[in-house]
Amino acid sequence: MSASWVGGGVPTSPLSTSSLGVGTPTSPSAAPRQTPSQSVPQLAPMRTVGHGVPRIDAVERVTGQAGYTRDLRREGMLFARLLTSPHPHARIVSIDTSRAVALPGVRAIVSHFTHPDIVYSSGSIAGGAQYNDTAKDNTLHKRYMFGNPVRYVGEPVAAVAAVDRHAAEEAARLITVEYEELPFVLDVEEALAPGAPQIWPEGNIGLNGQNQPRPLGGRQGDPEAGFAAAHRILEGRYTTSFAQDAQLEPRSVLAEWEGDKLILHTPTQGISNCRHDNARDLGLEDHQVQVICHYMGGGFGDKNGSYYHDLIAATLARETSTPVKLEVTRKEDWLGTHGRWHTTQDLRVGFTNDGVVTAIQQRAYSGMGPFLRRSGGLSGIDAYACPNVDRQIYPVHTNRTVSGNMRAPSEPQGFFPIQSLMDDVAYAVGMDPVDFALRNMRRPTEQVRFTNYSLEECIARGAELFDWRNRWRPTPGADAGPIKRGAGFAFMMFRSGVGPSSAILRLDGTTGRCTLFVGVTDIGPGAKTTMALIAAEELGASLDQVDVVWGDTDRCPYSVGESGSRTTIMTGYAVVEAARDLKRQIAERGTPGTSEVLIASATPNPSTQGRQRLCFGAHFCEVEVDVQLGHVRVTKFVAVHESGRILNPLPARDQIRGAVLQGISMALKEDLLYDARNGQPLTAGYYGARHLTHLDAPQIEVEFIETDDGFGPFGAKTVGEAGIIHSPTAVGNAIYNAIGRRMKDLPITRARILEALA
Amino acid sequence: MDGPQDSSEARRAPSAATSDDPCADLSRRGFIQGGAAALVAAGATPLPGAVGPASDVMREATQVAQGVPTTLLRFTLNGVPQNLTVEDRWTLAELLRDRLEGVSGTKVGCERGECGACTVLVDGAPVYSCSTLAVWMEGRSVLTVEGLAPRGELSPLQRAFIEHNAPQCGYCTSGQLMSATALLERNPSPTADDVRRALVGNLCRCANYNAIVEAVLAAAGTAATGGAE
Repeated sequence: MSASWVGGGVPTSPLSTSSLGVGTPTSPSAAPRQTPSQSVPQLAPMRTVGHGVPRIDAVERVTGQAGYTRDLRREGMLFARLLTSPHPHARIVSIDTSRAVALPGVRAIVSHFTHPDIVYSSGSIAGGAQYNDTAKDNTLHKRYMFGNPVRYVGEPVAAVAAVDRHAAEEAARLITVEYEELPFVLDVEEALAPGAPQIWPEGNIGLNGQNQPRPLGGRQGDPEAGFAAAHRILEGRYTTSFAQDAQLEPRSVLAEWEGDKLILHTPTQGISNCRHDNARDLGLEDHQVQVICHYMGGGFGDKNGSYYHDLIAATLARETSTPVKLEVTRKEDWLGTHGRWHTTQDLRVGFTNDGVVTAIQQRAYSGMGPFLRRSGGLSGIDAYACPNVDRQIYPVHTNRTVSGNMRAPSEPQGFFPIQSLMDDVAYAVGMDPVDFALRNMRRPTEQVRFTNYSLEECIARGAELFDWRNRWRPTPGADAGPIKRGAGFAFMMFRSGVGPSSAILRLDGTTGRCTLFVGVTDIGPGAKTTMALIAAEELGASLDQVDVVWGDTDRCPYSVGESGSRTTIMTGYAVVEAARDLKRQIAERGTPGTSEVLIASATPNPSTQGRQRLCFGAHFCEVEVDVQLGHVRVTKFVAVHESGRILNPLPARDQIRGAVLQGISMALKEDLLYDARNGQPLTAGYYGARHLTHLDAPQIEVEFIETDDGFGPFGAKTVGEAGIIHSPTAVGNAIYNAIGRRMKDLPITRARILEALA
Repeated sequence: MDGPQDSSEARRAPSAATSDDPCADLSRRGFIQGGAAALVAAGATPLPGAVGPASDVMREATQVAQGVPTTLLRFTLNGVPQNLTVEDRWTLAELLRDRLEGVSGTKVGCERGECGACTVLVDGAPVYSCSTLAVWMEGRSVLTVEGLAPRGELSPLQRAFIEHNAPQCGYCTSGQLMSATALLERNPSPTADDVRRALVGNLCRCANYNAIVEAVLAAAGTAATGGAE
């Protein structure tokens, strides 16, 4: 078969440069094709990219044919169940499994006492300061597959493998654990007070890679001089809540051994780091572990890398020489994986009477639970141009559950406090908050250049679409009520950095089809389709002529993983480069005939040559607040984003809409409450955390300002995380505009609104 | 929602104790069992497993669970009559996903009636299959996502879901489709609010609610009205 896959069906010269779409990058080293500019030129349309096509796996997704890890079965497979700690802090004295092992069908029980030495640690490649290879060896705060003492309710204590789910579940209940309860602490400030229960011998401040209890943040400029120069200073204390990632698919793992090779079917946002971390933790070489990620029911950061469930399933499978499927319950997932770190923050802002910010100070505590799975850092202050900044952010250990990455891990809970306070400053100097932002937001400078800058355009367009000048009330709370209306605004800038990744393309002369091998998974945004679109665009092929092999470490090259908004930018650019390689080969050798094959690959590591590459966005929100009931209803929400070129408008729009709605949920609803008397979590689950339902979700209006700064695949930037960064802030500022009360604690519940109005 | 009150026709064996530890947490499944057992007539005779199981997986499972009460269950699944022996403690979700072949499109997200990922239609009404015992299906007709396109031809709703990008991660999609199918059956021209009310029991953590509502309205041929109301 001739290469009929080629676009236009002209096999002889299909891939000459002249057939490329308009605007296709031609520079192999990602050099900029346009100078950074304030203007936003209309992008010329491309051939395949940018037209809003259904996903390549859409039929599977609507017919039930899409296979998820939990759907897998193996002949003779065992089912595994966890037993988790009911105590927030306790030493395990003994574990009696005699009644459990006597139960028919039980094959293996593992615990701290059978496997005390397996250290769980994730993050070697995807990021994460604590548990990279070096830090894992050095850290004083090792996290074990089964720990003793246990340090949070929900920490795994034992696991059972049995012939069916019921036997495993019942056996787990028949295990008797004797605990010696230890004092516990839930609050970040109490955890740092003298005499607080010590979760670690080194104290309750999270340790950095050198085992030092240093705060994050730092100083720039001259904060004292900045405050001295200020005409006025405003300050406030803010708290943000723990928001579980709560992806609809709870973790499940199917582990099977072939000799000394482990095959792990596990939902992970990064197969490469999942393989490496599991291999390291189990004492294996990387090639001895194959990670296969099937369809995945969401992640939002919860499924970054590996998780201890992988280790437990692998251990049970090795003990029993049988495939083992571990199914994590919803409650175990809620309490045993992680969510956005809750924070307590004190902020001060100095400013002049004409509305120029002269100094910012931040003292913050990030509640990390007993382990530092991620940094605990906070963003937001860096979105302002103020040169004098003093930030100290302490990651604090408590006996709450572990915090970790949730979509834009450091951002929404960082942006909400500072942009709430800046909103107050704008009112204090009698400025429209939009004008205040335009005066104080960070812009490119001679010292710090950007690849492009479009925040002004986002704000201007958003204000126009929203009709900001008419919806915003110069006097907050001015409506007569009981239903009061108000409008709020927030903006953001966020990383869209380039970096290394790999892709392989195979053109098979026999079938005439092109196969793309990329190590991506698909947590929801549609990475498979995006990669196929990029390949088709660069090759001049149609989308249905490209097959995608994904999610399998034995078949796919390295990919950074679906975290940090990097898949499209990094792996997508590798696909561009691989397609260029294939075109070069075709130009040299011609298209492959029957029985012939061409293999192309690329491992680019592009650089922005010191310039910052960011995406931008502006959110405008209108709310109605019932001041008698405390109820908040979002009546209008406009989100304008610049995320470079939009490769697939339909899922890109829904990434923003979904992220905005998650942000509204974070602003108004989500929390993980604990009973201070006994350390028990009270709201673990969808009902308890009160996640948005269909009835709570307003219509979100999205518009993209498209640019091409010459980096990434065809100029594409971050989309997935961008929408949640500032949407809670826009809601909070709108509530202030409606009722004239500053809501400083998330979630903004009815009770808190009524209390503020009382 | 379907429930124990509808199970009187199910022929059941006496229920077994789930745990000999009175202090152990009562499992959700045990709780459903207990509730059902309390509502059905006592003294029903266990039926022998006269009809062969549906698959090897099923056969092995019934062999393993010695002493567990079983029932011969006759129901219709996606239009096909089923005749099989089930353990009384199996949920409908468990029967579909673990014991039968080719119907794992029904997802389990919480196994406690919160999220709606496991929604199937029983005699046309949406039911959480994680909170429904399989034995309650005696004489019933069950429709799962696989039954929406029995001959490979997608329903208008499925096509609209594709065209409007209604699935993100896809884990809630089957449940959303089933609730929406039931809605359009009884109300072919719903408003956006009708859709939201009908699908309120189906959570989407990707929060792709706008697109799902747009897809259902498109399938119904109703113009999207937009807005929160």
